[in-house]
Amino acid sequence: MRGIMSLTVLAIIVLAGFYEAGVLLSTGSEGETIVIRGAGSSFLQPQLEAWIQGFMRYDGKIIVEYQSVGSGAGQKQFFQGLADFAGSDPPLSHDDWEKYRGKVLQLPVILGAVAVVYNIPDIPKSIHLNLTGEILAGIYKGTINYWDDPKIKSINPGIADKLPHREIIAVHRSDASGTTQIFTTFLRKSAPSIWPKDLVGKTIDWPVDKTGRGVGGKGNPGVTATILSTPYSIGYVELAYALEGNLGLAAIRNKDGVFVLPSPRTIKAAARHALESGLMPSSPEDDFSGELNAIIYAGGSDSYPITAFSHIIIWAKYNSEAKAEALRLFIQWIYTEGLNYIVEGYVAVPPEVARLGLQASSLMEG
Amino acid sequence: MPPGMGGRSDKLFFYALLPFAAVTVALFLLLFKVLVGNSLPIFLREGFGFIESSVWRPSETNPQAEYYGMLAPILGTFYSSIVALLLALPASISLTILIDEYAPHGLRGHLVNMVEIMAGLPTVLYGLWGAYILAPALKSHVMQPLNTYLGMIPLFSCTPTTPSTILTAGVVLAIMVTPFMTSIIREAYESVPLIYREAALSIGAARYEYVGIMMSIIKPAVLASILLGFGRAAGETIAVSMTIGNSFSISPCLFKPGYTISSLIADQFGNAGFYHYMTYALYGAGFLLLLIGLALNTLGLYLLVAWRRRLEAR
Repeated sequence: MRGIMSLTVLAIIVLAGFYEAGVLLSTGSEGETIVIRGAGSSFLQPQLEAWIQGFMRYDGKIIVEYQSVGSGAGQKQFFQGLADFAGSDPPLSHDDWEKYRGKVLQLPVILGAVAVVYNIPDIPKSIHLNLTGEILAGIYKGTINYWDDPKIKSINPGIADKLPHREIIAVHRSDASGTTQIFTTFLRKSAPSIWPKDLVGKTIDWPVDKTGRGVGGKGNPGVTATILSTPYSIGYVELAYALEGNLGLAAIRNKDGVFVLPSPRTIKAAARHALESGLMPSSPEDDFSGELNAIIYAGGSDSYPITAFSHIIIWAKYNSEAKAEALRLFIQWIYTEGLNYIVEGYVAVPPEVARLGLQASSLMEG
Repeated sequence: MPPGMGGRSDKLFFYALLPFAAVTVALFLLLFKVLVGNSLPIFLREGFGFIESSVWRPSETNPQAEYYGMLAPILGTFYSSIVALLLALPASISLTILIDEYAPHGLRGHLVNMVEIMAGLPTVLYGLWGAYILAPALKSHVMQPLNTYLGMIPLFSCTPTTPSTILTAGVVLAIMVTPFMTSIIREAYESVPLIYREAALSIGAARYEYVGIMMSIIKPAVLASILLGFGRAAGETIAVSMTIGNSFSISPCLFKPGYTISSLIADQFGNAGFYHYMTYALYGAGFLLLLIGLALNTLGLYLLVAWRRRLEAR
């Protein structure tokens, strides 16, 4: 009998729990507030959180939520209708854009850069190693094996005698990531004879792994931690992680042959040159799949060559008028007020791109 | 109807429990179905190549070019787990003997509690500790000396360059499965009937002879703990992912980075949707893991049950 009693009590507790949850949910949708759900890129998350907080302080009635699940999962949730907008580092692929042509709008919301960082105890952090796409491609291919390789020495004459005869450990992402896509696109564009086309993507078969000198770390934190704990290693991370100052930061040779460090100035310059090249789409309805190609290894003597846009993807038409209006307000806010809420490590888009974003909010229908 | 079911309240109790049991069974069957259904495409497409080759070739633009060969993670799973077991087995046997034979009465309870707590700690803690503290220490105090003095043995033949290696993951796993294996071995050790103990002591066996006799009695339970411990080690994701180096390489040397099936799935699932075949490949890898785990667990449990029956029959 006691068994039944306790089971009954348990059942009541469980049912009460469901009821409670139901009540909470229904007040959420009946009230005046509107909830917009986004999902996607983890790179975008810190910046989006800053925007969401700023926006919700400005407009109390709209609640914006963002889940950092990765660009791929974000796009999937968006197309399945589970999220109202997707945050995605890479724009839609040409095929996906073709499939949803006219129905989706893509907005470049922020600029970011991939920094090349290293851990060489012999070199002080105030000195920045010079590196080129060819050398990085050689390292990740497993053909440049030692830090005192003549190719590295020749472009670093000031510290040539300090470069040690130590094996280079090449650290890369172990999870699929937009960062890897940006980095490998740069390798392909800057060293086409060394880096083949099929080694460009979010996750690839790293040739250096086969030599036993390649190591994968999960996420930007994982890569940073691995480099920190591995002397004589090199890796690539989002700029914000490189700015923490624990690692050496490399200056990368751009298309015009100048070695540049990532900074708001050099990142913006890359975006400007990409716009001037005419390869960038001019409307949010256009195909953005060629955009990475335009901005990475862009021309201009002051451009940082491993720069990319990160995007928000929205529908051109939403079922609910209220939701469309709320999203429109949020996007307009991002491109106006939001410019004052840029988190360190990110760079605001140039005015030409902001105009394109504002244009999107007028294309939206409820 | 099961035996002993007479009264109305008994029946009610039985029906009240039924849905929960049914849900558990249904969930397992569903899981199996989903795994088989989702991994079928990759097995049909690649056949044995999926387990025989070591390739990770995703392609977003051209699905025809995609190819996934899981040999490196499969070998890495076995390799790191075997290293873990080789270290964990002597540790858990010693711990059992220490707790049951040597520890003073007051300390015993504390030791047992500590082992149980260690078995229940979140695995990410072991991963963090393994990656930041254990790995660098292992590299400079274990790997480098082994390589310098015993470099002629293939296992130690490569110069250790990174702290994240098969050995590091193996040691972290060993620390994680030792408490688990200890509880299995200890349970068996303590359930040996008193007659056997008295018999051993009455013939005048010394402490270590007595322990030897006891260990030979519980041999099947030790074997079972190895198999169950292997299942644990092979299924661990986060702690391994943080310490093994996540590299698609195959090498007999312990000081090279590697991969395991579990850490591969944990790493890649988030963005697998970008590719046509990757999700299937990850399900396929999961299915392999399930098969390995199922086989070893079944064998382990079978050995345990058979041994208990034999003890009772005597």
